[in-house]
Amino acid sequence: MAPTDSLVRVDQVTRKFSLDHSAVTALDKISLQIHAGEFLAISGPSGSGKSTLLNLIGCIDKPTSGRILIAGTDTSHLNPSQTSTLRREKIGFVFQTFNLIPVFTAAENVEYPLLVQGVSANERRKRVAEALESVGLSSRAQQRPDLLSGGERQRVAVARAIVHRPSLVLADEPTANLDTLNATHLIDLMRDLNRALGLTFIFSTHDQRLLEHTPRIARLTDGRIVGDSHPDQSKGAPYEQVLAACIS
Amino acid sequence: MSKFLLLAFRNVFRNRRRTLMTLLMVGGGVAGLLLAGGYFAFMTRGLREDTIRAGLGHLQIFTTDHFKRDEVKVLDTGIENWRQVASTVSSAPHVRGIAPRIEFYGMVSNGIKAVGFMGSAVDPDAESSLGFASQVTGTGRNLSSRSSGDVEALIGVGLAKSMNVKVGDGLTLLAMTSDGALNGVDVQIVGIVKTGIAEMDARYLRITLPAAQRLLQSDRVTNLVVGLDATENTDVVYTELAPRLDGLSQQMTLKKWIDLATYYNQVHTMFNGIFLFMGLIVFLMVLMASINTLLMAMLERIREIGTMLAMGTPRSWIVALFMLEATLLGILGAAIGVGGGNLLGSLLNAAGLHMPPPPGYTVNIPFRVLHVPTLMIGSSIMVVISLALASILPAIRASRLQIAEALAHV
Repeated sequence: MAPTDSLVRVDQVTRKFSLDHSAVTALDKISLQIHAGEFLAISGPSGSGKSTLLNLIGCIDKPTSGRILIAGTDTSHLNPSQTSTLRREKIGFVFQTFNLIPVFTAAENVEYPLLVQGVSANERRKRVAEALESVGLSSRAQQRPDLLSGGERQRVAVARAIVHRPSLVLADEPTANLDTLNATHLIDLMRDLNRALGLTFIFSTHDQRLLEHTPRIARLTDGRIVGDSHPDQSKGAPYEQVLAACIS
Repeated sequence: MSKFLLLAFRNVFRNRRRTLMTLLMVGGGVAGLLLAGGYFAFMTRGLREDTIRAGLGHLQIFTTDHFKRDEVKVLDTGIENWRQVASTVSSAPHVRGIAPRIEFYGMVSNGIKAVGFMGSAVDPDAESSLGFASQVTGTGRNLSSRSSGDVEALIGVGLAKSMNVKVGDGLTLLAMTSDGALNGVDVQIVGIVKTGIAEMDARYLRITLPAAQRLLQSDRVTNLVVGLDATENTDVVYTELAPRLDGLSQQMTLKKWIDLATYYNQVHTMFNGIFLFMGLIVFLMVLMASINTLLMAMLERIREIGTMLAMGTPRSWIVALFMLEATLLGILGAAIGVGGGNLLGSLLNAAGLHMPPPPGYTVNIPFRVLHVPTLMIGSSIMVVISLALASILPAIRASRLQIAEALAHV
């Protein structure tokens, strides 16, 4: 699906954190535009601001300055309840450490976002079955997270992120805790869902395996975007070169 | 909602050891209250029955004017046709018998000196048929309705000492008759009574009803004591009898035993006070310990709460979840406490334990624990409320977590 509409617009966003008597700038006047249906990686070394940027786009943190628009809504004007509703309806989350509810089965974990939305029991059952089917875990539906492998847990997390049919899925280092095989499967799964459902995926990573499957990569260093390009465009201008250019 | 309840229920058992400790603490509190309350209930019930059997009866009938009476001419306000009144009352269900009484005052003399007494006149047969306890706990015997010649009397141990008399000796009673004349009667002491109260022992005197009527020159009685088959039927019989007494020639007043048992009411109030104090201590202990436990549970789940909030879970749901978990803990703890407390109580009852005699008594008191349903319900509600209150602080802290910080929590 070709990217057409602007789903996320990050406009001159700065995020500073207070640390004792000083302030640390995690993001510095970042601007970014992401269209519906895109598959975007935010890449960069540790501490570059990847997770902070994802938190801001996911409305679980507020920028110090600048604004972020999700599907045309300026999130800086939303009260906590409206922000909560926006996250509930428009955004799905995949976390590095899976963050499944340990006392729920895989199916119940996937069902949870629908429960919060107040979807009827019949509709919940149907959508959970579809979501688990789409990640290939129908047979593991009744298992609790502690009986699933790391790869399976992350696939459950992906199913949970897409079950309520959000516009946007945010994944923070989704392959960081997976071995190569599981990481590859997860990347393929996310890419397939992106193509098949037109879901917009934004994920942070410094996993080269994942970047190789990513059509668009925004590179962050010290809170600034130092590169935002299609992989084909970035060939011949590797990350180190971009960084060197930025520093110089 | 059922999934939410399921989540709360499973969370309760997430850390089984901690949950077990909490349940034992809550259950122990409830069981302790049930044992203490059950023992108090046993003692209170024993005191109640002792009070009733000591002669108070379950109900007493007076003329309405009795409570405005002149203590010198006591029978001026007495019941005239008391046999007719007794007949009216005795046909009511649950009534086991009726004993007429005269309460009177006068002087008792040994020929050398005279002192005042508080007298009561009874029908010995009616008293014993109602199972009222024997009056003589000192020396001698009880009054007999079949005595020949001499008027029998029981006197208090203090009065006997004051008058320097013993069983078999004679005394003269002096009292004011209904028409204001001073009358006297000679009595023979058949028993010395110890009531346990020194002031009472110094003034106590009891004779038979005919002797008192002869002394007071009246065939009236001051009151009728009604004995029932069970104390629990007091209210039912009271409701039944009150209208029956309305149509009589004299205006009557019916009193329940509880309205006349001053000492019982004082002891009952004291036990209630002690029990409430114990309940308050258990309540605070459960509250403080539960706050700590629930805070620990919350701190262990910070990232999970952050995840739930990130997925758009309303913060009020997080508060409700923690309060629901605590309430479930309270319900389970109460169930364990009620079960354990009753089991322990039954075991203690079966063991046949006895407590040392209290001051003034010579026999051990049996240790029994009553199973009181209202106590079980009250204690259970108390701990559930305690747990729910204890969860407020952790619940609010959980709901106020910053999502980004919670997700980064290690």
